[in-house]
Parts: sequence; C-alpha cells; structure tokens
Amino acid sequence: MIPGDFQPQKPTGSQLAKLGVLGVVLLGVFIGIVLVLTFVISAWLGSPVIFGHDGPDQPIEFPHETHVTDLGMDCTFCHRNVEKEAAASVPAAGLCMTCHSAVGDELEGIAKMRGLYEDGRSIHWVRVHRVPDHVHFVHEAHIRYFSEKEGIQAQEVCATCHGDVASMDKVQQDRSLKMGDCVNCHKQNNAPTDCATCHY
Amino acid sequence: MVTAGSNKWGMVVDVDRCTGCQGCVVACQSENNIPINLEEHFNQRRAIQWIRIERYWEGEYPNVKARFIPVMCQHCGNAPCEPVCPVYATYHNNEGMNVQVYNRCIGTRFCANGCPYHVRFFNFWEPEWPESLKNQLNPDVTVRSRGIMEKCSFCVQRIQRSTRESERDNEVLEDGDRGLNPACVNACATNALIFGNFNDPDSKVSQIKEDAMKEGGRGYRLMENMGTDTNVVYLKKVDQSVEVTHGH
Repeated sequence: MIPGDFQPQKPTGSQLAKLGVLGVVLLGVFIGIVLVLTFVISAWLGSPVIFGHDGPDQPIEFPHETHVTDLGMDCTFCHRNVEKEAAASVPAAGLCMTCHSAVGDELEGIAKMRGLYEDGRSIHWVRVHRVPDHVHFVHEAHIRYFSEKEGIQAQEVCATCHGDVASMDKVQQDRSLKMGDCVNCHKQNNAPTDCATCHY
Repeated sequence: MVTAGSNKWGMVVDVDRCTGCQGCVVACQSENNIPINLEEHFNQRRAIQWIRIERYWEGEYPNVKARFIPVMCQHCGNAPCEPVCPVYATYHNNEGMNVQVYNRCIGTRFCANGCPYHVRFFNFWEPEWPESLKNQLNPDVTVRSRGIMEKCSFCVQRIQRSTRESERDNEVLEDGDRGLNPACVNACATNALIFGNFNDPDSKVSQIKEDAMKEGGRGYRLMENMGTDTNVVYLKKVDQSVEVTHGH
C-alpha cells in the first residue's frame, strides 16, 4: 500500500441509516415545496395548475349542455332574479318539476330530485362562483348595462363573466373574479371605481 | 382619484324635535348588522353604536330638563380620521362621504383616536347573535369580523340601491324618495333627522341649512371650531323659557 493513498472506508451501518433518513427528509422537503408552490400558483391564477379544471361535483348532475344547447332554454328561465336583483338565484326544485314531473324517468338524478321535492327539502348545490368577502356584486346592474350597450338579450350577457356555461357539463369558473379583474372591466366601461361601489 | 360628484350626502338633526326615544339607535343596529351590546361591553366602553343619543341634564331639581343630541359619524369634509390611516382603509369618496373599507382595515385604531366625535368603533370580539336572530341579518351589509373598525356609513347600501334603481328607471335620484333615507331617518318618529343631498339646492336639507346658517339661525355644527367641515348640521333647541330677543 502506497503511503498516503486514499482508502475509502466502508460506511458503517449507522452512517448508512443516517444518510437514508437525510435522503427521506430532503425528499419530503422537496415534495412539500412543490406542493406549496402548486397551491400558491393555483391560488394566484385562480384555477388549479394540476388535477383538471373541472368544476366541483354537484349533488345532482345538472348538464347545462342538455338544457341550454340542446333544449334551447334561456339562462333567465331558471336564474329568474338575475335581471331584477343582486343575486342571480338558483331555482327551487319546484321549478325543475314543471318539466321533470313528466320527463327524465330513467335518470337517477331525477329520482333523487323528485324525492327531495316531495319531502319539501332543497337541493344543496355546491357554489361555483364566489366573489371575495366584503364584495357586493349586483347581477341586475351588470346585465342591464351590457344588454343596453351591446343591444343583446340578457341571457347573452352572462357569458361575459361566466364563460360558455351552455357547453359545460359541470359548471366551472371561467374568469378569476378577483378585484383586478373587476376593476379592469370597470375602467374599460367607465364604471365607478369608488371603493363604496362594491365594498360596504 | 376623487372627483366632485353630483351628490353630496348630508343630514340635518333638529335637536328641538328629538325626544331621545332611541328609535334611530335600534333601527341602525338592525339595519347594519351591529352586534348586540351586552352590559359588560358598555362597562368596558367597547359598545358599538353607530348612532347614539347623548343625554344631558340641565338645571336643579325640580326644574330639571333632559337634553338629547343624536350623534353619528359627521362625515367630515376635512376628516381627522382619514390621514392617520396607514392603509387607506378610510377615505373620502366623491359623494362627500367618509367611507370605511373593511377589507383594507388592519385595526390600528388610529382613526378612532383621531375622531373628535367618538363615532368610530373597534370590533373587540367576533360578532355573535343568538340563533333566533341569525336570520334577521341584513344581506346587503357585511358582517364585520373581529379586529376592524366600523362606523356610520350613511347606509351606503341604501344609497347604492337607490342609485341603481333610479338608473334602471331613468329617473333622477331624489333623497327621501323611494326609500333613500338611512335607517335612522326612516325610524325617527318626530322627523328630527332629515337626510338629503346638499348639492341639490331644492332638497329639504339644503333649504333648511341655508335658512339655519343665516345670522341668528338655529344651525350649528358639532365642534365647528375644529375645522372638520362636517356634513351634519344641527339645529338648536328652541327653549320656551328663554325670552325671544330677535326675529321670529
């Protein structure tokens, strides 16, 4: 053996174990950072970066495509308050029953809806569009402004913010609906940007 | 950017008409989702009342007189609360109102210290209502959480609604009409509170103010010497026992 030659020492069992633990911890930290970044970027963009862009599962499947594209119903037929009040309103099961007392016998969701209707209970839809806290959004004013400005029917205005719901199987959010989004549009349309317009 | 708007909201308070019934206080409490003030809240001086009735006793028994002054946010044109806010949570809008933006507020309470009228209130607790009262909350008004300031907004939710409705119907927004009154004004049994647009020379408040602010008129403002330029005008008590020396 040459003096001064480097002789790699065989790692002992406890050293190997320590190395293994360190590796696992580092891997965990790395995965954690990736997850946090994914979450932060998703929150920033307002839509998930991975795992699909589908909307949430609803208690009863309601295919907008069938009702709007295939059957040609207006948005305002079900969302009755949208031209009158702040909230667009989701109809009670009674409105569904105007058609579905007769049609859709073979569907599971219809049976569920009828059951709820007969018990006098409501359908607990999962909310898809939600503006941040302290914001009072009024559908009526927006529908009125855009339908007057562009000379279109109320139900054609909805897509401006909600995207093409008519072709969505599961409703999902289309625009970010953050304050920057609102303020940009308000500026473009010379709408008031005073805080008290929305925040009160 | 603050531009001069077409409206300048303000109020006239006729102290002579006020009977101190506290109707305005209750109306405000229910309109604006103000949490219920318990006894210990008052004891700690932490009760929230956007409008309060100040009571003063005058004279010696048996000739005692109770005097009442309703005090709400004076919506100062030159407000001491505004420049001290580090996050611009309180600012002046172009309709002459002092607006509190809840989502900006971080609860430094500088504004409450700056306010000479003591009409700004801090939420020391998470607001709570008994189960039976939860459904009476006004959906048009944010429930303020713990840690932020709040104050009289001149019922800005009603102003926004009336503005919207007058736009929809292509009508001119008129004060007093179609419910454009704050809750306290609607509730006042003796019409001691009058709300309106000071920029409209034909409005009731403008006319009363013009008359009252003349030499010898009954008009005054709270702590006028501080130069706060308030949007609330008070009318003095007409005292029967004092001999009238001028006019009338």
